[in-house]
Amino acid sequence: MNRLPALAVAFAVTFATVVSGAAVAGLVGGDGAAPAPEIENAHYTDTDLVNDRTPGEATIEMSSDAPTQTVVFDPGVDPSADQPAGPLALLGFGGPEVTARNVRPLANVLLENGHEVRVYTPESSRPAPTAGPSTGGESSPLGEELADADAFVTFRSDYSAAALDDIESFRESGGHLIVATEPSAGFDAPGAAALDGRLGTTSGPGYVYNMAENDLNYQRVYAEPTGDSSLTEGVDRAMFETVTPVGTAAAAGDVIRPIEGSQLSTTRAPTNAPVLARDDGVVVVGDSDFLVPENTQRVDNDVLIGNLADFLVENDRAGSHTAATQVGAPTPTTPAPGETNATQGPSNESTPIPEPQNATSA
Amino acid sequence: MTPRRQLAAVVVAAALLGVVVAPSVYGAASDTGDTVAVVEIEGPVTAGLADDVESELAEIRANGSVGAVVLKLDTPGGAPAASERMYKAVQRTSRAMPVIASVQATSASGGYYAMAPADDIYVLPTSVVGSIGLNAPAPAPRAPVAGPSGPDKVGTNEIEGWARQQTLADTFVNAMMAERGEEFDLSRAEVAEADVYLGTEAVENGYADEIGSLTEAVHEAATRAELGDYQVDTRETGPEGRFPILVRTDTQVVAVYATDPGYGEVEPMGLAYVHLGSVPHVDTVAQIAGSDLPAMETGANTTGTAASSAETVAGPNALGSLDGGERA
Repeated sequence: MNRLPALAVAFAVTFATVVSGAAVAGLVGGDGAAPAPEIENAHYTDTDLVNDRTPGEATIEMSSDAPTQTVVFDPGVDPSADQPAGPLALLGFGGPEVTARNVRPLANVLLENGHEVRVYTPESSRPAPTAGPSTGGESSPLGEELADADAFVTFRSDYSAAALDDIESFRESGGHLIVATEPSAGFDAPGAAALDGRLGTTSGPGYVYNMAENDLNYQRVYAEPTGDSSLTEGVDRAMFETVTPVGTAAAAGDVIRPIEGSQLSTTRAPTNAPVLARDDGVVVVGDSDFLVPENTQRVDNDVLIGNLADFLVENDRAGSHTAATQVGAPTPTTPAPGETNATQGPSNESTPIPEPQNATSA
Repeated sequence: MTPRRQLAAVVVAAALLGVVVAPSVYGAASDTGDTVAVVEIEGPVTAGLADDVESELAEIRANGSVGAVVLKLDTPGGAPAASERMYKAVQRTSRAMPVIASVQATSASGGYYAMAPADDIYVLPTSVVGSIGLNAPAPAPRAPVAGPSGPDKVGTNEIEGWARQQTLADTFVNAMMAERGEEFDLSRAEVAEADVYLGTEAVENGYADEIGSLTEAVHEAATRAELGDYQVDTRETGPEGRFPILVRTDTQVVAVYATDPGYGEVEPMGLAYVHLGSVPHVDTVAQIAGSDLPAMETGANTTGTAASSAETVAGPNALGSLDGGERA
């Protein structure tokens, strides 16, 4: 009988072991080995999800057979920005907005067709922008550059009053201009309005975007010609990257407008305001990136750039280029504001084109 | 019967009885499900946070005592892959039990991505949700670098970069349309605009389902799981130490892993599912974290506004002295 306690203990230990084991398994283990079947997410495997990354190709050609013309580019180089790159450059600070790559495609096609290209890179400090009239009779360094040029492409708007006078005179004398602006120009000092005032051009606030149909980003918008013109011949569709609406004083100056579905950032409302417009000898475009090499390869940008090159050389400026080959002519004097046209007279046609001190050839 | 046989018989009987009782005990232990687990998802979405959230949710799914989950969110988003990992973990959990998301101040971009599979999204009236999109700098052409084995090893083609970014953005937007397309009162194009909405507006346009606090979200989760008396088990997540501060430059977001960072502790995020409005600009951080700020000299925490300390306006180079900078 004295074995009963031992048997009871054995029973209790065995029972407790089995039951507690089950309890622990239930608490800790649970359904830890539960299967984890794959969850189908069709939105990850949609064949349309991956965007086409083909860069495309560009063929930029001119159709004009105009004789050699001189085209001056002003990429808006700020001499004071010529600082050594610091570590913050790695984080995205600094760097010019318009680089050599921006002007290369247009400059190249001009050079390939025998025209002369100069890039205006002022070495002196940048003149302060002002909207007032010029007070002196001296020509600006830019004016000296334009004196023997036929066309002018600028990515800048904050010119001095003297330079504005020279640009206006240049235009009045038949020179052709392309003014490329950016939505970000609206955040600069208000010099742009002064240039617009001289040229009769406008640029709107904000940027155009299209959420429904775009070129790989909502700010890379498509735009199409509104009618037939020499600027848009062969262009069914162009692409602009972060473009602002532009306009001219001309009644029907618009040339290219964004496609349906485009909206304006400041209003979030649909817009079809022009992004490229022309008023006789002035073309204003609300983007300076549509002609970088990668973007020339998108839709018909290459054709548009070729047409713009034609526009530049098909100017009404009295020819001083043939004269440039003549030797022995007197050196031209610096044109005063309003006299730029006069410098293109016959007496100057025999003038070799002086290499400006503050210009480099592209 | 010998004593040895008596003992054996008793043991066998006990074992048999135990086996009979064990299933009930196991079931009682494993199926109580009387706990609502509150999983915190707070701070920038990083791989470390995703590690914790994944493991916590896996443990919750395996633990039969948890009957429902509430995600307590306060995050501006962050890394795409980390956001996707949490999305998948929440999606899998929501297949197993009720999951309610409870937004505190913000759950935007990658944070919204993570909580989208929840059964319901609770917001406070002034919570900020949305920002369904990708933040990324524009692909920029780089001067060629000699040496790498292929053209895309260093740098990329600009168009290819745009395509990759758009695919990354579409992946996010498509996932959100799949999860909440029926709730959204907006078209896909409108969702892709990546706007953020206050809680009061979010419950109107489908970005959220209910106005409610964390307590109300917990109660809803318990109700859906048909829990009677329940207890709340809060699971903290996020890596200890190396908790990044997000700051933005003019072009992108960078994660800073120290208050006095060296180069190795500043990590450009590049492509990020992040709500920029919740990430301070580096200039703002520099302004409030200037080294000659009186509060800083005494070691006080500086989470005030830039306006209150604008007398010390440091330039971008002040990135090297983010002493006590505001945490994003």
